[in-house]
This record gives sequence, C-alpha cells and structure tokens, in this order.
Amino acid sequence: MPTTTASAAGTTVGNNILLRLTSGERDVKLKALRELKNQIIGNRTKKLSFLKLGAVPAVAGILSDAVSAVDVADDDENDRIVKDIIVQSAAVLGSFACGFEAGVRAVLDAGAFPNLSRLLSYTDENFKIGDFGDILIQRGCLVEEMLLHKSYMEVVDAGARSLKMIYQSKMAPKYDFLQEENMEFLLSLLNNESENVSGLGASIISHSCKTSLEQKLLFDAGVLKRLTSLLGGSLIQRDASLESIATIFKNNPEVVSKFVGPDTGRTLSCIIDLVKDRFARTRLLASLCLIVIRNASACYLQDVGIKTKLINNLLELLDDPGQVGDEASFAFSSLIAEKEDMQKLAFEVNGIDKLYNHLQKGSLHPRRFEGILLALADMCSKLECCRSRCLSLQVLNLVVDALAHDSSDVRSAACMCLRSVSRSIKNLSAGSFMNETIVIPLVRLLDDTSTAVQKVMGQTISNSFDWPRSVVFGWEAKCILASGCNLRGSSMPISVAALGAISNIVVDFTTRRSTFIRLGGVKLLVQLLKSMDSTIRLNALWALRNLIFLAEDKCKEEIFMELTASLLASLICDPEPSVQEQALALVRNLVDGRINSVEYIFAEDGIILDAVGRQLRIASKAEIEIQGMYVLSNVATGKESHKEAVMDQLLLHAENKAQSCIIKFLQSNDSRLRTAAVWAVLNLTCSSSPGASGRLVELRDAGIVSHVKNMVNDPCLDVKLRVRTALGQFTSFDDSLILCIFSPAASNNKASTSCLQFLTVRAVGELSHVVDPSSKQAADSL
Amino acid sequence: MPVRVAESSAPSQVSGAHSEESSPPICSLLTVGQAFSGTQNVSNLQKEEAWRVNVRIQGCDLEHGYLCGTMEALNVPMADTPVVTFWEGEIVDAKNYTFYTGKWEATPEDDIRHWTKFPSFAPLLSRVEADGGKSLDLSNYPYIFMRWKEQYFVNVGTDCGLTIAGFYYVCFSCSDGSINGFYYDPNSSPFQKLELKCANEGRSGFSFSSYELQ
Repeated sequence: MPTTTASAAGTTVGNNILLRLTSGERDVKLKALRELKNQIIGNRTKKLSFLKLGAVPAVAGILSDAVSAVDVADDDENDRIVKDIIVQSAAVLGSFACGFEAGVRAVLDAGAFPNLSRLLSYTDENFKIGDFGDILIQRGCLVEEMLLHKSYMEVVDAGARSLKMIYQSKMAPKYDFLQEENMEFLLSLLNNESENVSGLGASIISHSCKTSLEQKLLFDAGVLKRLTSLLGGSLIQRDASLESIATIFKNNPEVVSKFVGPDTGRTLSCIIDLVKDRFARTRLLASLCLIVIRNASACYLQDVGIKTKLINNLLELLDDPGQVGDEASFAFSSLIAEKEDMQKLAFEVNGIDKLYNHLQKGSLHPRRFEGILLALADMCSKLECCRSRCLSLQVLNLVVDALAHDSSDVRSAACMCLRSVSRSIKNLSAGSFMNETIVIPLVRLLDDTSTAVQKVMGQTISNSFDWPRSVVFGWEAKCILASGCNLRGSSMPISVAALGAISNIVVDFTTRRSTFIRLGGVKLLVQLLKSMDSTIRLNALWALRNLIFLAEDKCKEEIFMELTASLLASLICDPEPSVQEQALALVRNLVDGRINSVEYIFAEDGIILDAVGRQLRIASKAEIEIQGMYVLSNVATGKESHKEAVMDQLLLHAENKAQSCIIKFLQSNDSRLRTAAVWAVLNLTCSSSPGASGRLVELRDAGIVSHVKNMVNDPCLDVKLRVRTALGQFTSFDDSLILCIFSPAASNNKASTSCLQFLTVRAVGELSHVVDPSSKQAADSL
Repeated sequence: MPVRVAESSAPSQVSGAHSEESSPPICSLLTVGQAFSGTQNVSNLQKEEAWRVNVRIQGCDLEHGYLCGTMEALNVPMADTPVVTFWEGEIVDAKNYTFYTGKWEATPEDDIRHWTKFPSFAPLLSRVEADGGKSLDLSNYPYIFMRWKEQYFVNVGTDCGLTIAGFYYVCFSCSDGSINGFYYDPNSSPFQKLELKCANEGRSGFSFSSYELQ
C-alpha cells in the first residue's frame, strides 16, 4: 500500500499546525501554539523545518494581534486567553531564537522584537515592573488581584525569556547605555525578582557593552553592585551575573581597580568558590571573571593556589562535551597568553599532555579543534620545555594535518601553533622543521585567499567582546586601529598566519633551505611582496629576511634572481615603515657572508645602495636607521670600492658634509643605533685596508671623528668599547700618517695637511687618555 | 689592540636589584651569526694535541640568560669529517644563573677552580665566595661568563666514539670578542683549554646579520 515518507508526513503535520495558527478561534490558535512550541523545543531540525514553512512571521503576527487585543479584552476569560496566547507566542519565538541564528534573524525580520520588548512593561497602571511585591503588600491586594498579577508576571517573564534568547545572538540590536532612561530601565530589570527579567538585564550587558566608556558608565551607575548580589541567586541569575561582570571588567584596568578593594573580598571569594561549582558552565564563567581581573593587572590574584586552581579547572572543563568544553580552551589561552609564569604553572600540571589527549581524540568540532591548537600555541610561545614536550609527544603530526583542515579558523590556529613550536632554536638548529611534511602544506597556504576570524575566550559564552589575539606581527595593531579602539575581532588572511610559521622555520642552520626553494616557497613569497596589503608585504619580507640569514651563496643567488634589485629598492622605500625596516634587514643579511655577497647591493647601477642611503637620510624611526646603518657597515667590510661607495652615501650625498646622517646616529639616544654607526666607522677605517687613512681624513673633515672621540665614555658599554677600538685604530694611522706627512712625495697631499692638523690636536693631549702608550710616545717625540 | 678599560673593570654591587641592572651587557660581538675560530687543547699525559674549533652563535636570549650555537671540531683524529655539535649556554647574570653550576657533576669547588683560571674573574672571587655572586652587578663588566653545554651531535651519530658529557666554563671578552674556556668532565683530561677569536671570514672589518623569530 502506498504511504508518505517521514519528511512528507512531517510537512503535513507542520502545515496543519500552521493552518490552525490562522484559525479565528482563540482556543484553536492557543493549542496550535502550544503544539508548535513542543515540536521545536531543543530540536534544530524542526526549527529549520518550521522556519521554512513561514511559522515565525505567523507567530509574530499572532503576538502583535494579541498585544493589541489585550487592552480591549471584554471580560476576564478573554483577557486570560489573550494573555495565554501572548505567553505561548513569545515562548515559541524565544525557542526559535534559542541557539539558532537563522531563527533569531527570522524573529527580528518578522518585527517581533518591539512587541516582545513591550511585554516587559506589560502591567496595568498599578503594576510597575520591579515593584510588584511591595505594591501588592502596600495596597493589601485581594487574592483575585494576586492571580491577575501572576498572569501579568507570566507575560513579563515570557517576554524576558524570549528577549534573553535573542540577546544571546550577535544579531540582537545594540542597547544604548548612554541614554539615561535606558540605564534606569536596565537597573529596573536587574532589580526585578524574576530570574528571567534580571537575567535579561545581565544578557543585555553581556551583549551590548562594547566600549570602555560603556563599562565605566555601567560601573558608575551601580550595576556591578546589583550583579554581585545576583551571585547568590538562582543558577540562571548567577551565570548571567558572572557573564556580565566579566564583560564590564574585560580589558578595563580602571574599572577593575575601582572594584578591587577592601570591600570586595567577599565578592571575590564568592567568585573563587564558584570556580569549583558543580555546574560546568558556572565554573567556566567564574573562571572568566577571575581571568579578566587577573589580566587587568598582574598584582591581582597573585596567589599561586588560585592560579593553579584556575588552570586545572579550565583543563578539566575541556572534558565537557558541549559548548563549555569548546570555550574552555579559549579561556585557558586568555589566562596564559604572554604570561610566562602562568605557562610554567600550566606546564607543571601537564597542560601540554592534557591538550594533546583531547587533540588525539580526532573528529573534533572545528571550534574545539581551533581552541586546543591556540591553547597549545600560547603554551609554547615562550617556554622551551613546552615546545620540547610537544615535539616529544609528536603533536606536530596532528598540527600539520590541521593545516589542511576544511575550517579556515582551524588552519589559522594550526599555523599559530606551528609558529610557537618553531621558536625552538635547538630544534631549528637540528633542522626539525625544514622538511616536506611541514613545508608543503605551509607553502600551499600562501595561496589560500580565505580569512580566519581571530577569537578569544568566551566568544559565544560572553559574546560582546571579540578581542584580537596577539597574532602575526602587525595584525593586532591593525585590528585595533580598524575598529576605532573598540577592540573588536577582525579577520586575518590565512596567508599571513602561514607567513608567521614560515618566518620561523626558514631560520635554518643546516643546508636545507633548498627544500623550501625547491617547493616554490621563494616564488610565492616574492609574489606576496607585491601585495596591496602592507601586513602581507611585511610578513613575506620577514620570511625572506630569515631565509637569507647565513644562507649559502647558491641559495642567495636563487633568492636574488626572484627578488630583483628593483623590487628590493622599491620595498626599502615602501610607504609602510615596518616594511622599510624588514627590507633593510633583508639587505643586511644579503650582503653578509662571503665577501662576493656585497656585490648584490651594486646590481642595476646600485639602486639598492642608493635606496638605503636615501632612506637613511630621511628616516625618523630608529629601527629603520639601525638596519640601514648595518647595511652600510656590512658593505664597508668589503673591497676598497665598496668602502668608497659607503663613504659616498655618507658624505657625498649629504647636503652638507657636516650634517651627514651618521653624525645624527652617533648622537642618538638609542644605543643600538650608536653601536651600528660606530661599527660603520670602524669598518671604513679598518687598518688592513689601503685607503683607510684617506677615509679617516674625510671622516675627520666631516666632523665624524670628533663625534666618535666624544663618545669615549658612552654610557653603553658596547658603544664605549667600540669607540675605544676605533680611537686606537685612528691612532695607528697617526703613526703611518706621520711617515706620510714627512715624506717628500706627500708634501703636497691634501690629506697630509689634514692629518697634520689632526695630529696637532692630538699633540695637545685631547686624545692622550685613549691612545696606547707606544703610539703616544711616537707622537710626543714629534 | 691596547685599550685601557681599567675604570670599568671592577664590578659594582647590585643596588635595588632591578632585573635590567643585573643583566649582562649587550655586546654586538656576541650576537647571532657571529663566528669564532681557534683551538681546543686536548693534550693528555701520552701526547700533545689540539683540535681546530669553529663556533657560530645561533641564538641569544639575554633576558633568560640563554645563548646557543654550534661548535665544529676540524681535525678530530677518529672522525672522517669535521664533527659539529649543538651547545646551549647559560650566561652568569646573577638573575638566571650564578657562578655555581649545581649540576653536571660540578661541585662549588670545581666551579671556583675553573673560574679562577680566568684572570678577569679575580676581582669577583670574594663576592662569589661570599654569596655565589648574587649581589654582583655584571651589567657593566667587560667580560661575560658562561657555561656551554653540548646537547647533541649535529652531523654524526652518538656512536662516533666521541663524548659530549662535559661542559665548558667560558669567559668572553666584550672588548675584542675573544673567548677562553675550560672543558670540564670528570672522566676527561682536566682543564682542556678552548681559545677562540672573532672570525671576520675574509672581510676587512666585522659584518653582522640577524634574524628574528615571530
């Protein structure tokens, strides 16, 4: 006998319910609403199915009609039915919105939000929200009135419950705390005895508090006081309160400092106690609260016992199979990120092993997978013991697999994990990362055009803040700037995440760089140098700079062929200062090594050297100047022609010789820059090179020698020692120049005249405290 | 090159013990990429012998008192190729590490016996004997004291017949980048001397490269 399929039967039932929702009879409508509610509660498939049938606009319409009708209800019975319809339709809409983004969208699109909001103040004139109990007592209400009030309470409760579901979603409209009446209304919600109403107040805070100004306004309005009192309430109130407290504290040391004081001991103890609550979600939320307090300043929650308890709790919460387990790793990351002491504690309680055990289970939900990878990344960011443990457990096999995961967030997290583990110089030196298994999937990601959203703890648990993690260089600052200091999350290209890991693994002390080149890594990096996105250019340059560090000749040749002198010159003059710095650092490494490497800078009529010189004359950032000076200093270790080319850049191109950029660098407040500048002088006047004495004279004429002389007691030991070496070197020329001056062939020599002046200065003893005795003796004998 | 540095040769005591103050000086000659070459005297009662040695600094983390690199021994009799090892160094900075080793079978007496072999250690001896040198501020001292411990063979197997069981007491001169060291292994000839000088690899001056991990 022919029969219908299960889904067809479902559709028939659905259509039937929908049909009854349009019935003119209120009882039929009410029954259909109840049936619909029971069908969809906790059933995502049913929600979707009814959504497709258009149930949400239908129910929103019923709610709207009922809200209008309640005021004109002719008798108590009708009034009661209308209110039941309101309660049921609000409950249905709330169910659609619960944990189902498409449902939230449909509820908002159907215009139900204003009607649900109206329910919150749905009382007759006598019953104002927040004062129910008091009013009833004061007025000596009759039992009938009490029942009526109960009915109103049900309406308010139903509205609050539904709105709370909507406020769990990012799509909910933002609540404006800046309006005074809104703040008053929020306080009235929080003060309400109904857990759904006060819970809604807390959800509004968690959803809509996005800026430090809003955090401060909420604190000043006394919201925190009310929230802490809710910690002693029901489970719903407690959780909602913890979530809101975390939102108000997050990244706001000012508010936290106002909160933490002698009077807050009880509240803090209460939150600390909740870290071991029997409900997993409460434990997570209490942990989040303590984490934001701890992250506001290291001086809070210094007790090792509490810190260890937090770490253990979050690692245990990973066992939770649901959302709490998914979020626990993000909270864990937030607790330990950038904090070596916390990472050490986490290592001591076998954090790496525990995270690995979860990773090993396989078939993880992408969010959980991502969170665990990021937690491992944070654990390995500073401590070698964590990296060693990861490597000995062979965690990298799983991380490498994750580089090809379907989810871009997981791929990005795998890159960050690899980046942290590959900070191990010990393993870089052993060539542990430069192999095809790792390089092939990483290089493939350079072509990946997708993006990954940077997330932090409690993205959905406490969804109002998606602060960017400290990710690949340049991205964090960009996120903050792009969001107008709103500290919102941002998406990052996967290629940038991959570049972070590549920049580390190409620091290869063996001779395995060829693997990376053979697999097309250099070609792709050079392509990325032409990107419009400065972060991509920066990180691609960074990778090439590290790749070329101590590279053998053949490797340099291949890289330079791809790079070209003109591209390198243009990157030195890039509009972005951090790109300029990396480009100069790359050139510095390029011209280091065997002496013939210096020739690279003279390719294409010396456009690279010209760009370096030009940048040094106009740069205002010490980091750029340091790299630029080391480029010139390295070139100055080459042949005579190389040294002369450096002299030209320093002196000839200066508008006024006495204003050579090197003088500015010698006077810099940055000792690193002074060191680089003195090294350039040392290399230019290196006694083994034949033209050194002539260059010394030129440097003296430009006022550089006297500046170096003045640095003999530089506060930086490194600078001081280099200066003394330089002065000793100058002195050795004095002796040879003496011969030069007094030889007949040199009598008309311009340099000889200058040297004579120089020695005259010395003879009056200006340098007497730095020259070696033998040289001094020679000079004195003059 | 004769340079007088007498006025800064006496170490001062740490006042206030700020971590920056007690850090060793940042010396541009002791940075990543720098190469050193020289010899290690491995003579014993039977015969005089010295191996040529090259060292390259590969990593440096002053905040944690950490240094690492490779050491290449060139004319090792029982090896067909130069033997390269990877070593990790502890910088004596009174913050991360003191003059007392406390491991690798080195007693405080062994430590003192080795450190006193370096003339530049003499001004520090009394403070080290008093409190292990914890009160010393070495940040302006022109010598850096370290322990280098070889961790693994880079290019040969552990069955190469060589041992890396011991470690080096090392003294680095910030003035000229010279390195002196003494190998300590209770089972090897005592006081094998390591002498290295900055290698400028055919250049007329000193060249510096750098990498930066993300």
